Amino acid sequence: MSFAEAAEWFAFVILAVISVAGALGMATTMSMFRSGIFLMASFIGVAGLFVLLSADLLGLLQVMMYIGGMLVMILFMVLFSHDPGGSMMADMDMSLIERFFSLGLSSSPDKEGMDMERHGHDGMDMGGQGGHDPMDMGGQGGMDMSMTTPVKRWAAALSVTLGGGLVALLLLRPAWPTTDTTPNPESARMIGELLMSKYMMAFEGAGLLILIGIFGAVLVARPGAYPDRDARDAYVTRDLPPAPIDEDPPPSADAHVPPEALEEVTVSGAHRDEAGGPPPQNETGQAASESLDRDS
Amino acid sequence: MELTLRALGVLAALGLAALLTHFFEPAALSDAQERGPATPAGARGPVELAPNPDRWMHPAGPVTALLGVLFALIVIPYGPDLVPRDLGIGVFYFIVVVDFVVLGLSLGGWGANTRNSVDVYYRATAQLVAYVVPLGLAYIGAIMMARSLSTVSIVDAQAGMWFVVLQPIGFALYLVTGLMQAYRPPFVEPFAAFIEHGVYGASFAWQALLWRLALSSLLFLVAAMGAVLYLGGWRGPLLPGPVWMLLKTFGLMAIMVWGGSRVPLLSTGRMLELSWKVLTPIGLANVLVVGALILLGVGPS
Repeated sequence: MSFAEAAEWFAFVILAVISVAGALGMATTMSMFRSGIFLMASFIGVAGLFVLLSADLLGLLQVMMYIGGMLVMILFMVLFSHDPGGSMMADMDMSLIERFFSLGLSSSPDKEGMDMERHGHDGMDMGGQGGHDPMDMGGQGGMDMSMTTPVKRWAAALSVTLGGGLVALLLLRPAWPTTDTTPNPESARMIGELLMSKYMMAFEGAGLLILIGIFGAVLVARPGAYPDRDARDAYVTRDLPPAPIDEDPPPSADAHVPPEALEEVTVSGAHRDEAGGPPPQNETGQAASESLDRDS
Repeated sequence: MELTLRALGVLAALGLAALLTHFFEPAALSDAQERGPATPAGARGPVELAPNPDRWMHPAGPVTALLGVLFALIVIPYGPDLVPRDLGIGVFYFIVVVDFVVLGLSLGGWGANTRNSVDVYYRATAQLVAYVVPLGLAYIGAIMMARSLSTVSIVDAQAGMWFVVLQPIGFALYLVTGLMQAYRPPFVEPFAAFIEHGVYGASFAWQALLWRLALSSLLFLVAAMGAVLYLGGWRGPLLPGPVWMLLKTFGLMAIMVWGGSRVPLLSTGRMLELSWKVLTPIGLANVLVVGALILLGVGPS
């Protein structure tokens, strides 16, 4: 085996491990943020495999889409989820693999007990409604039952069967066509020409679809979409100019601010609604309260 | 052997870029204003660390950002044969790889788990959304005229005339979006003083060093790519290629830092507004103008 071949094998193994471990981590970690990053890592690993197959442009396109797109997606996910950092669930009973991918997540020491207690009660309620599953991990007290559902075994069986079937299809495939031709260095140019000639309708059609999507988003968010002004103010931030940097709230020295004080801090920096409606829920306020949520 | 030489060349370029930017940039900025990533250690408050940082992602941040910068340096040419690797899709590769800096900021900011550092993640991502489209449009003008994505071919296409003469709008667009990409004034919100200078306020020791290295080199990278796209890269009379390349890069850095520091700071919301209401239409118009110029036979044949 030559040096180049060995290097290729090495790169393949590394990239394959990144792809598979990333997908596994995405499904098992307790932190939403980490889950998104794992998914990104998995896709970047696959992009690396594309590059190994001399499809540089494809690989780079994938990296570009998934870094930018995934960061924005995680941002929205974080803004909408209750415990994006996973600190509430970090100390509950987990299976080995979940514990591995959640390594290093921990709630702050002084708050830990309270979170666990509260979550434990929630879990009990949900467990009571969903039916008790004897195959639960057998944990008591601290275990969050909401993480386990009665259909977990069925889901596992289904995914293993499907996955096994796919792998079997790949292995039992009669012959893998191989080729010795070297990849064309002008492939980027050729892809561009194909997109602009043979596949032009599909290409332009995709562009049109995305444009319509943007129009739709603007339409949904526009002022006239609500019956009256008060109804809109209840849901949407007014289109006020965003606060300049120096008017933002000063960072509070104490992270454990009571909720009322927190509300005051975030609102005071943002622009008040002169109509006296509900406090604007602009990004700054959301971001600030979100990060405080994580801290406490 | 050759591979090792090229790798060493990239490392040397990184060292040079960071070193020169590190001494150049503070000299161009006054003390009173926000300096963004160039804030000296003495001007910052104490480093604030959360009791429970993410032990994987907090250190991964600076490493990812520095890797992105290193990868991007691979395609910057300093002479016809002085380029670590002339990829056929070099410019596109550059755009993609510089995104790893944003990924690093997100990882490091979130992982540090203080209130201010998590803000870095939000603001850096919003800034990415703001600059990525106009930046691509600023690249496209030069790519259309050179008819190639390779950095070396783009410089070669400017043998007769620099693209800055043919596409002044594209050049101006690149300067603005480049500042946004490099987090330099007036686009310093992820590093602003009111969030304790972002990741600087939440990292120490080797992590702070790597951040400084990556973010200093980032300005150099952006300016070097500007020199390649619009100022004819290494081309110039009398002096050897690498000298011209460095001169142009530093000239561009001077223009960007000086011009940017004379504009009031912009918040992320204003950046998005500027990007979508002003820069993107200008970029599209530039593409149209360049297309018309090419059809009229202007530019390299």
